[in-house]
Amino acid sequence: MKKILNAFLFFTVMSCSPDDATPTTPVDNTPVNKMTATLLKQGVLMGVNHTASGTASIYEDNGNKIVFFDPFMSENGPDLKVYLSKDQKASEYIRLGQLKSTNGSQSYQVPAGTEISHYPFVYIWCEKYSVEFARAELK
Amino acid sequence: MMIGKTVFYIIMLVGHVLTATAQHDNARKNDFVDGTFAFASYQGTLSILYVHNWRIGSSKRLGFGLGARFTSYLGANQYYITAPAELTSESTSPLIFFKENIEANIDSLLIESPQTNSINASINIDYRISPKLTVGFNIDAIGFSFGATKKGNYINGTQGKITEASPTAFNVLLISDNDRGSLNSELYFKYLYTNKWAIKTAAQFLFTEYTTETKVQQFPSPNDRFRNKSLLLAVGISYQLN
Repeated sequence: MKKILNAFLFFTVMSCSPDDATPTTPVDNTPVNKMTATLLKQGVLMGVNHTASGTASIYEDNGNKIVFFDPFMSENGPDLKVYLSKDQKASEYIRLGQLKSTNGSQSYQVPAGTEISHYPFVYIWCEKYSVEFARAELK
Repeated sequence: MMIGKTVFYIIMLVGHVLTATAQHDNARKNDFVDGTFAFASYQGTLSILYVHNWRIGSSKRLGFGLGARFTSYLGANQYYITAPAELTSESTSPLIFFKENIEANIDSLLIESPQTNSINASINIDYRISPKLTVGFNIDAIGFSFGATKKGNYINGTQGKITEASPTAFNVLLISDNDRGSLNSELYFKYLYTNKWAIKTAAQFLFTEYTTETKVQQFPSPNDRFRNKSLLLAVGISYQLN
């Protein structure tokens, strides 16, 4: 039985396709004008079983809400997404998009109509493998 | 003594008739069992299929059969999409086979470690190209599925939530997305290398389906059924029972 299972796993793994990793070059994405934008919330990004660090902020600028990472760095991984979550388990969340880079400042538009007081956590989340990379509690 | 002889002759006569019938059936029928292993990216199946075939035509090259199949599916990080035809095509007509899916109505359920088991009645059709080579097609028709409840990530555009889902219990083959549950099918070639044993290679097309604990999808109408369609490469062995 063990041999059958090993053979099964071998063939399954052998047929795996390579995953797309996140770009590593800094994106230098700074659409937030800190002179006119209002800082609503901020928190420290910490790696969860992975190396990651930085500051996550939510700004409001001309009625648009933007999540801004600056500074930021993270270990690389496949299918990394940025989530705004209602709780620490990401049991209900909003997807802000694919992580643009593992290095450098970057921003993500929050969908219009989102009540951000309901979403106090920012996540870097490997969606395909359901693995948490980093989290910040915004206050 | 006379009675004993009569009973003996009757037994012999019945035996002869039964044997003759069996020999006749051998020419018109064949039974086999297949064991198949199929794999694709991050997923695989093990299946066991029994088929009772009726050989048709003067040359008996064409076979039509009924049988039963057990399929066990194991995957990793698989996306399941909205299943019901009334959502994917906004119709349940048989003509949806030719209709494009309506993307706006389709949401996803990402399951980290899907595992389903199904037992279905199946249909087989095959053709003997030569005494040693057969091409055929089989498909599950109706049955049931079982398996553990799994955690799933329901994704609807920019929003998502974590939920739980179980394999859809009842399986039935209809037309296109009107299908329900977990159904396996194969287009196969078999090469008979002894009188009893054959090797088999196939393209396996498998539907697996999960039902979420609540109707997580609300637009355009509430839905709890999500389907994964997989094309797998299969290899196996086949044993001729007669």
